[in-house]
Amino acid sequence: MASDEEDFVFHGTPIEREEEIVSRKKKAVAGASGNLRTLPAWKQEVTDEEGRRRFHGAFTGGYSAGYYNTVGSKDGWAPQSFTSSRKNRAGARKQSISDFLDEDEKADMEGQSLSASSQFDTFGFTAAEYSRKQVEKEQHERPSAIPGPVPDELIAPVSESIGVKLLLKMGWRRGHSIKDVRASSDARREARKAFLAFSTDENTKETSDSMVSETEVETSLDPQFSEDIKISESIPVYVLNPKQDLHGLGYDPFKHAPEFREKKRSRLSANKEAGFRKPLSMKESLFGPKSGKTAPGFGIGALEELDVEDEDVYGGYDFDQTYVIEDEQPAKPSNDNRLRLTSKEHDVLPGFGAAKNSDYSMERFNPPTIPKDFVARHKFAGPLEAESKPTLSAPPDVPPPADNNLKLLIEGFATFVSRCGKLYEDLSREKNQSNQLFDFLRGGNGHEYYARRLWEEQQKRSDQSKLTLDVKPSSSVQKMTAEERGSLLGEKPLQRSLKETDTSASSGGSFQFPTNLSDTFTKSASTQEAADAVKPFKDDPAKQERFEQFLKEKYKGGLRSTDFNRVNSMSESARAQERLDFEAAAEAIEKGKAYKEVRRATERPLDFLAGGLQFTSGGTEQIKDTGVVDMKSSTTYPKREEFQWRPSPLLCKRFDLPDPFMGKLPPAPRARNKMDSLIFLPDTVKAASAHQVSESQEHKKETSIDEPEVEVEVENVERPVDLYKAIFSDDSEDDEDHVMNGKIQEGQEKKNEAAASTLNRLIAGDFLESLGKELGFEVPSDVPYQEGTKPMEEESKSRSKPEGSSDKRPDRAGFKQKVEEKTSSLTLGSEEEKSRKQKEKSPRKRSGGNDLSSSESSGDERSKKRSSKKDRYRNNDSESDSSSDYHSRDKQGSRSRRKRRESSREKRSSHKKHSKHHRSKKSSSSKLVYSSDEDRKESKREKRRRRD
Amino acid sequence: MSATAELPTKEAHVLKGHEGAVLAARFNGDGNYALTCGKDRTIRLWNPHRGILIKTYKSHGREVRDVHVTSDNAKFCSCGGDRQVYYWDVSTGRVIRKFRGHDGEVNAVKFNDSSSVVVSAGFDRSLRVWDCRSHSVEPVQIIDTFLDTVMSVVLTKTEIIGGSVDGTVRTFDMRIGREMSDNLGQPVNCISISNDGNCVLAGCLDSTLRLLDRTTGELLQVYKGHISKSFKTDCCLTNSDAHVIGGSEDGLVFFWDLVDAKVVSKFRAHDLVVTSVSYHPKEDCMLTSSVDGTIRVWKK
Repeated sequence: MASDEEDFVFHGTPIEREEEIVSRKKKAVAGASGNLRTLPAWKQEVTDEEGRRRFHGAFTGGYSAGYYNTVGSKDGWAPQSFTSSRKNRAGARKQSISDFLDEDEKADMEGQSLSASSQFDTFGFTAAEYSRKQVEKEQHERPSAIPGPVPDELIAPVSESIGVKLLLKMGWRRGHSIKDVRASSDARREARKAFLAFSTDENTKETSDSMVSETEVETSLDPQFSEDIKISESIPVYVLNPKQDLHGLGYDPFKHAPEFREKKRSRLSANKEAGFRKPLSMKESLFGPKSGKTAPGFGIGALEELDVEDEDVYGGYDFDQTYVIEDEQPAKPSNDNRLRLTSKEHDVLPGFGAAKNSDYSMERFNPPTIPKDFVARHKFAGPLEAESKPTLSAPPDVPPPADNNLKLLIEGFATFVSRCGKLYEDLSREKNQSNQLFDFLRGGNGHEYYARRLWEEQQKRSDQSKLTLDVKPSSSVQKMTAEERGSLLGEKPLQRSLKETDTSASSGGSFQFPTNLSDTFTKSASTQEAADAVKPFKDDPAKQERFEQFLKEKYKGGLRSTDFNRVNSMSESARAQERLDFEAAAEAIEKGKAYKEVRRATERPLDFLAGGLQFTSGGTEQIKDTGVVDMKSSTTYPKREEFQWRPSPLLCKRFDLPDPFMGKLPPAPRARNKMDSLIFLPDTVKAASAHQVSESQEHKKETSIDEPEVEVEVENVERPVDLYKAIFSDDSEDDEDHVMNGKIQEGQEKKNEAAASTLNRLIAGDFLESLGKELGFEVPSDVPYQEGTKPMEEESKSRSKPEGSSDKRPDRAGFKQKVEEKTSSLTLGSEEEKSRKQKEKSPRKRSGGNDLSSSESSGDERSKKRSSKKDRYRNNDSESDSSSDYHSRDKQGSRSRRKRRESSREKRSSHKKHSKHHRSKKSSSSKLVYSSDEDRKESKREKRRRRD
Repeated sequence: MSATAELPTKEAHVLKGHEGAVLAARFNGDGNYALTCGKDRTIRLWNPHRGILIKTYKSHGREVRDVHVTSDNAKFCSCGGDRQVYYWDVSTGRVIRKFRGHDGEVNAVKFNDSSSVVVSAGFDRSLRVWDCRSHSVEPVQIIDTFLDTVMSVVLTKTEIIGGSVDGTVRTFDMRIGREMSDNLGQPVNCISISNDGNCVLAGCLDSTLRLLDRTTGELLQVYKGHISKSFKTDCCLTNSDAHVIGGSEDGLVFFWDLVDAKVVSKFRAHDLVVTSVSYHPKEDCMLTSSVDGTIRVWKK
């Protein structure tokens, strides 16, 4: 065994044993107590507070660094390392003591440095600073979850401010408001107790139950008290229900299954109360409050979030149980406490059943008995009563004073006084002692007239009141209708006040009387009359009554009364429905009324200028509007409209139908109304027929490039065949392609294009013709028409596409004309056509130097024809695409040359820039050649359009 | 009541299996099978005449709102809240293709006669036509002239008819390239076409079914009595076009006489909202589905 041990070779230093560490610690403790003083210097170890050997730095040898555990060498402190002043001149760095201190030493130093101690740190700045530093330090020591320095705002001051401390000293406690409320609330409580005792003495009948309810009422009524509560609760109590489960913070296991929460709670409470309370039935909690919105049993995927659309519109329901339809209870507006109390009574707490017979019954107070001799109308005991007696003899009828103002004033005042009583007159006489205008009160100018007026008014009033009293002695308790009140108040229907306001306004309007005001701000009583006269709900008197009430409220100026207690028996929805009905009925009545109003308004246009009836006139207009709307909405349904709709060719193919738009223009912009569509229809039809005709020519030209004469001869003969082809030909040869790659529209798209291009060419020719005529120059006629024109026109077609739809329609109108002309000219014969063609070709010659390019383009055209259709025609709008495809195969040189040319063209036709922007840079060559022609044509077209 | 005798008012089977609301129940082409779909994101294939569940198709991410089977019973399509139209193989239960493109929930799908395209009606106010023949997943056509959610779509041999919440029933005729818009003034919930093809029945959200003449757009008849205000409930006609059938939100099913709009029969089919009513293509047999999670088969 011993020999075995000898064979071992040890490498490295063995790890220190536990004992050693322990012993070292002991040593450190001993050292701290000064025992180590006796050791020789080299044996002494510098340790930190925890007894660990202090580390001096790796470069100078680890733990036993330096000379006798100093940082320096035997020669003393090592000089500072040399730094070249050439490289950093300003680097005369000052050393400070902190450069030589360790972290903990620095901390010590800092502790000694002057700063506000936490005790006097009123605003917590220093504390915050300190804690920040602390955290920073910590940050350096160990990496935290959040890299980088902690944001300042996360670190709160650790200590309280001096203010808080002072408050605490003064007896303030956390969670309470600073305001001293305890005493007052105590006093209040005492007072309440006393009051309660008092009240119970009085009403010994009252059970304790009612006492409780009363106090509740009181507390809710007492604003001061509730305010107190609010204040004392202003600082939130943080831990209301301490966390007792093992779930993560904020995790609610019953979030989507609230019924289980109830169950659990009941179980818990059952455990606690040892069966005192019987656990809630599962069913009740499940189907009582519907809080879970998602359908039971399934949710949505984990990665999807719950949207509005995931709301279970069908609601939570029970699959096995029968569905109980809940009766919708109308939400009663509970203004008074009584109501709330009773509703609370019905609302039984979960787990409690409503008692069948309660010993507590709400005490009912009978309404006070009305004395038999009580008259509901208040009679003024004062001068009004005295004056209302029509005992006074009538003053003599006096002509009104000449001054219109005065007359008006007197009249108004008389009305007012008759209504308010003599007291008012006395008052105003006193008030307007010095006012010249009120001389008539003191027997001055117009006094006689005033007396007369006053008498008249009083006469009228007494008559009216007598009348109303006679007619409705019993209904006087009821609320008066506006009509009655109006007549009582002596209000005139609007026409009368109109005149008055007219004159008064013209004279400055400094005395507007309440009468006028009320007149202008409420609907005229005549409306009411009409509404009353028309009884839309005759069959249901209650409803009719409500309707009248509604009308009143609708037209009454000022605040709406919210008195709906009478209708409380109706559900919310029923009320809403009824309201709608009422609105409709009122509108209907108004409509009938509107005519009259309008007539009246037109009779007195000046009155409106005077501003007296502006409110009502506005109302009239509104009524008219609603009437119109009503008329519109009452137009009979169903209404049929027709639009053009373009099915995609593939759709037609899939449905095995011929494409109705085969060989026609691309889909037109959607007609906005019926008229448009009607106008548009024949237009397109004609255009289409024109295409087909022209297309046939096109085909001919393709075949016979070099013999224009022959072409012209053949043309008319062969046309019908092509026409039929265009319409009915089945592009069966393209079928394979279609199905194979899902690309569409080739065959008939091509036809489309051809047709459209021909149309464009024809139009262009026409334009040229007219242009020539206008400018009065001869157009050379001997340039043969070449194949190359075709692509250009295709381009022109594609170019016209991006133009706005608004441009398009007038354009089309132009087209239509052109096409008609064209068709007629076509029928006229070949000669005319020939000449036209020659004219059309002429500008190309003028542009000059494009022979080469044109021939080239014709070659291009042929190659294009050869190249697969798939590439060329992707879809309706892939014109530029296809051309670019085609171009990639083209020669680079010619392309660049064309580009140059194009740029020059673009400069020239700057006015067409907007359309050119849509054009691809790599547009096909041949188009460029003819772009000048085209530009001219287009400018011409524009000009013509403008002229039109 | 001889009229009611020929109506399928006797419950033959109750098909249970869906968890949650069943949103649509459709017979297949020959009426031997039925496909249903619902809020539980599944589509189920049943034999309604024996009352057994044959297969369950799961792939939808959200509720499935409509399903339609091809005439050869080989494929079917479905749509739903996940904004996609699924094209399924019946026997393998695999999704052949998913058509994405609708910007909202898809309310209805239909195959055309030759089952070459699927037309879907979406919340995004559009009808989209998807090609089943090619491998393209792009819509063949997007019809977006509707002003509001398209609730229902019906195809004839030559037309696409869509009913929308904007109150219109729009007929897109492919032969003449015209769109006929019949404004009913009320949100259209469901449309179905009479078997003679001359009329279209539109269920509106004012608890009214309206029968329109297709050629003129005239309102031929109005059927009332049921409740249809907030749910998508179906309506259809019997095979003889003698009666109009409509589901009600209170769980009843109504039968009206086509001509005089009288309620011939009504009975409680479900406890909750009747979401879908489907009539057997040949026999007097009817499927109803409901929010209560059941599908019921009704026979004479």
